[in-house]
Amino acid sequence: MTKTTFDLSRRSFLAAAGAFGVASTALPRAAVSADGSVLTLRSYSDLQILDPAFRLSLPEDDIIRSIFAPMVIPEAGDTWAWKAIAVDSIEQLDDLTVAFTLKDNIGFTDGYGQMTAEDVKFSIERIADPAMESPYAGDWSALKEVEVKDKLSGLIHLKNKFVPLWNTTLPTPASCILSKKAMEELGDKITTKPVAQSGQYLLADWQPKQKTILKRNPDWAHEPGGFEEIHIIPIEDPATAERGFEAGDLDYTWTSVSSLPRLRDNPPEGAVVVEKPSLAYVWLGINQENEALTDIRVRRAIQHAIDRETVVDAAYFGAAKVGNGIIAPGLPGARDAVTYDYDPDKARALLAEAGVSNLFVTLDILNQSERLTAAQVIQANLADVGITCEIKQNDSGTFWTLGSKDGEYFMNLQLLLQRFSMQPDPSWATVWFTPEQVGVWNWERFDDAEYKALHEQGLVESDNAKRDEIYTKMQNIMDESGSYVFLTHEAVGAIHRDTIDPGLKPNGESLLSEFKPA
Amino acid sequence: MFSYALKRLGLSVAIVSLAMLLLFSMIYLVPGDPAAVALGPRATDAMREALRIKMGLDQPVWVQFWNFFTGAWTGDLGREVLSDRPVAQVVMEQLPYTLALIAGGISWSVAIGIPLGCWAAVKRGSWADRIVGVLSVAVIAVPSFVIAIYALLVFAVSLRWLPAIGAGEPGDLGDQLTHLILPSLAVGLGWIGYIARMVRASMLEVLEAQHIRTARAFGLPENLITFRYALTIAILPTVTLLGVGIGQMLSSAVFAEIVFARPGVGKLVYDAILTRNYPLVTGAVLVTTVLFVLINLLADLIVGALDPRVRSRL
Repeated sequence: MTKTTFDLSRRSFLAAAGAFGVASTALPRAAVSADGSVLTLRSYSDLQILDPAFRLSLPEDDIIRSIFAPMVIPEAGDTWAWKAIAVDSIEQLDDLTVAFTLKDNIGFTDGYGQMTAEDVKFSIERIADPAMESPYAGDWSALKEVEVKDKLSGLIHLKNKFVPLWNTTLPTPASCILSKKAMEELGDKITTKPVAQSGQYLLADWQPKQKTILKRNPDWAHEPGGFEEIHIIPIEDPATAERGFEAGDLDYTWTSVSSLPRLRDNPPEGAVVVEKPSLAYVWLGINQENEALTDIRVRRAIQHAIDRETVVDAAYFGAAKVGNGIIAPGLPGARDAVTYDYDPDKARALLAEAGVSNLFVTLDILNQSERLTAAQVIQANLADVGITCEIKQNDSGTFWTLGSKDGEYFMNLQLLLQRFSMQPDPSWATVWFTPEQVGVWNWERFDDAEYKALHEQGLVESDNAKRDEIYTKMQNIMDESGSYVFLTHEAVGAIHRDTIDPGLKPNGESLLSEFKPA
Repeated sequence: MFSYALKRLGLSVAIVSLAMLLLFSMIYLVPGDPAAVALGPRATDAMREALRIKMGLDQPVWVQFWNFFTGAWTGDLGREVLSDRPVAQVVMEQLPYTLALIAGGISWSVAIGIPLGCWAAVKRGSWADRIVGVLSVAVIAVPSFVIAIYALLVFAVSLRWLPAIGAGEPGDLGDQLTHLILPSLAVGLGWIGYIARMVRASMLEVLEAQHIRTARAFGLPENLITFRYALTIAILPTVTLLGVGIGQMLSSAVFAEIVFARPGVGKLVYDAILTRNYPLVTGAVLVTTVLFVLINLLADLIVGALDPRVRSRL
């Protein structure tokens, strides 16, 4: 009898390794969408809730709009406009009435029949209903009722004139239409298992933390989605997504702002780099009720001490421009300049006038590289005028509660580097700085009655020139409070294969249903 | 042996309980309101308060701990805050990906580390031994996320041999294995060094033992002596080391799961901490703690079964 023993010789090991290497090169990986029928893209978060009334993130908005037909969606392109999806017609009859007629042949899946005006009434009134406690109830705050005229037509009655309706209510998932019958049977909100889908795409599969697959709706009788399937991969880290794109695993992804110059100058083969103006706004906030900062001369000194150009250049590698307020360029109220300039001498003089020397302040930031760089430049600027600044980095869970009146830190908060985003209506930016928001999202504790009155006025003013005046004045008031140093609106970067034509809003956010093969 | 197993089991239960108590204490010391983070800027005070009550945050910490612990014994880890899915289900969906990653990491480290350690021991004092020594320390010293990023840039981005992101199509084993190669290498590479060093040291000790000398005197082939008679004894400390190593690999898995955009428990916990999703944090950490303790228990039992001296020590 012979016994065999395992003998791993150096020669056999090298031979096996070599064979593996040759096999690997002989079988290069195929591109994800080689036949053009599958679009693979990245979203920054996984889905959690698919209910239009309780959605949590932009990627969810995008999926919801694709699987539950909305009345209208934002139009892809460079100017803010809307495009009809579920409605055949929709028009404002007067300040308080909007008339709509649905397309005749839109059906719900799972046997829930045809979409009717009754479903529109249910879906809109459901969000507005205080008992539902939808965070999006404000989108329909002006709603009085939806009147059903016949099977496909109805009237949306408003309590008061509401200009943002056409900019930031109807083109959002707040106009998505759900099946009344299906929702009444469900008796709860939709989570991750949609019922009675009706959009251009259907949610075919959700693999938690891995992939969401949308498939073209075979029963959609109108302009079809551009791809047979859309695979959405949740990747939080933009750098990981960029590497995934370069490796051929993605057809489209957002990029980090700091990667834009590199990608712009040296794009991967077959790739197109997109740059869009963002609706976000970044600013240095100053808590005007903090003991060390109650004197307006101190706050104004800080405004004059900051070299905004250098802060933005350093933080965004030249990819973003300096911003002059909370309202992004292209919208009513966007300003060309702030009312203070970079003047360290003036800052020193103001501090001396206030009798302040050796001032020590803290600057709270979110622990992201761009914020840290910006904070370090601000720290150097402040040191230049004699203010010592300590930077405090916070994780997102901590940061987003720092100024809350429910917490214990809000009065100790001194300086903060903050970033908000908005929908394409200036009221979306100004609402967070009203007196009601003090201790909620107004962490500077800026409290101005005139500002509040102007905000209310802007909501009912439909003349764009007048709105421009109103919102410009509001930002001037913010300047004069000394509580804000406006830094930038950032920029949005994306990269895609030249074989696709991405459907993007003017601010670079994606519209899944508008992605087409090139 | 039965009494030894019983004592180890009791110790494991105590370790899990203590770990969970520490976790509970830590997460409630961390600043940040989970309801505000979860619901975003548009939520009203009433909505935030309702969510706090739903999460049980209105109750004293010890009550929350007791509820969690008694629930956990029956397999109920609570419900995920926003999607309202059972935490146990959410964790179990992710666990196979992490287990596959760790198994892959162990495979790399065992498949390469043990032969390297043996080789270095057999060639003691030679150039080969020195090169293995230097390489072992080098791979131990380099952080796993650095390895992960470089491996990704070379094999996925530059050469395009392997995928950069994801875990592969469910049901397609070949695709899943292809997606596992780079992340598991990133997780396991450092352990190749540890295991090579450990095996070398143990082998050197065993190769000097009387029975090995006797085997040589009988003229048995060197490969047979090395792998059959020496390695089976020298491998024991490595089994214990791997038990501990799995805990470290769980930490490395977080980096690998983020860098390679893989699903997994590590990333799940990381995301849950950032969003202050406490039910998910506690549920996922409990599962991984139990897993870690069970693997160590298994390693101890194996070593105890093979070496009576270990049993007598407890």
